[in-house]
Amino acid sequence: MGNVYANSYLIVFVFLCIGVLLPVGALTLGKLLRPHVPSEAKQTTYESGNNPFHDSRVQFQVRYYMFALLFVIFDVETVFLYPWAVAYNKLGLFALIEMLIFVLMLVLGLIYAWKKKVLQWM
Amino acid sequence: MSGEYLAFLALALVAITGGVLMLNLTKVVHMVIALVFTFISIAGLYVLLSAEFVAVVQVLIYSGAVTIMMLFGIMLTRHQEEEGEKTTTGGFWRKALTAIAVFAFGIAVYLGVYRLDFGEEGARLHENNTEQIGMALYSHYTIPFEIASVILLVALVGAIILAKKDDEGAPKS
Repeated sequence: MGNVYANSYLIVFVFLCIGVLLPVGALTLGKLLRPHVPSEAKQTTYESGNNPFHDSRVQFQVRYYMFALLFVIFDVETVFLYPWAVAYNKLGLFALIEMLIFVLMLVLGLIYAWKKKVLQWM
Repeated sequence: MSGEYLAFLALALVAITGGVLMLNLTKVVHMVIALVFTFISIAGLYVLLSAEFVAVVQVLIYSGAVTIMMLFGIMLTRHQEEEGEKTTTGGFWRKALTAIAVFAFGIAVYLGVYRLDFGEEGARLHENNTEQIGMALYSHYTIPFEIASVILLVALVGAIILAKKDDEGAPKS
């Protein structure tokens, strides 16, 4: 492994450490400075002025899951687009046709989802 | 004892701890957090192996999208009653057999991996990693790439069929 490569990730590691330590330090310092007077009303969940009345983890509708699923599928598609776009200049026309077939397959899936009214909210 | 070795040890430890915590924690959302730790430390291991693109994909797909999917899956199911009493399943013999199987699997993997020869190590992997992947994927591995698109299509259509059937069975709210 190249030394430059490892050293550049050392900087990433330093940033990771700063990113973890900064909130920990800030919150600890805040805990030392602020007054600590807990009461029942302060510990309720903030719900924009309404009184919270139910458990927050209710059963969701299946529609949300459909959107999450579409998101994952097209996320994977996007990941395949990245190396293609980076190496595009060296690949030529054949890769373009390849990628068109690939995208066409997923467009078929999208049209199917559209026809099945997955994309409609209500 | 190089820095690379230390980083490997730390990342492997976080990955295994995340996996064990995921199995042992009782609240489902905490389990997902433990799983995210495992995913991210695996991404760190990919970085150590000079596979930067795969590392970024690991963070993007696994700790991003798959975790969201799991959270939605959790939110879709009823999970309040799970936080009751814990029942232990299986007697002593079953546990012993499971332990033996786990250790046998570990030893088999160790023996298989320890002297495994992967050939020459790619010394230039970290230079333009994404471009190298693109060149290999779109010139040598065309058919697997297109098959991947078919698999994605099948997953999409299958998921829609399964979820729509659920949706129509449920009362509209």
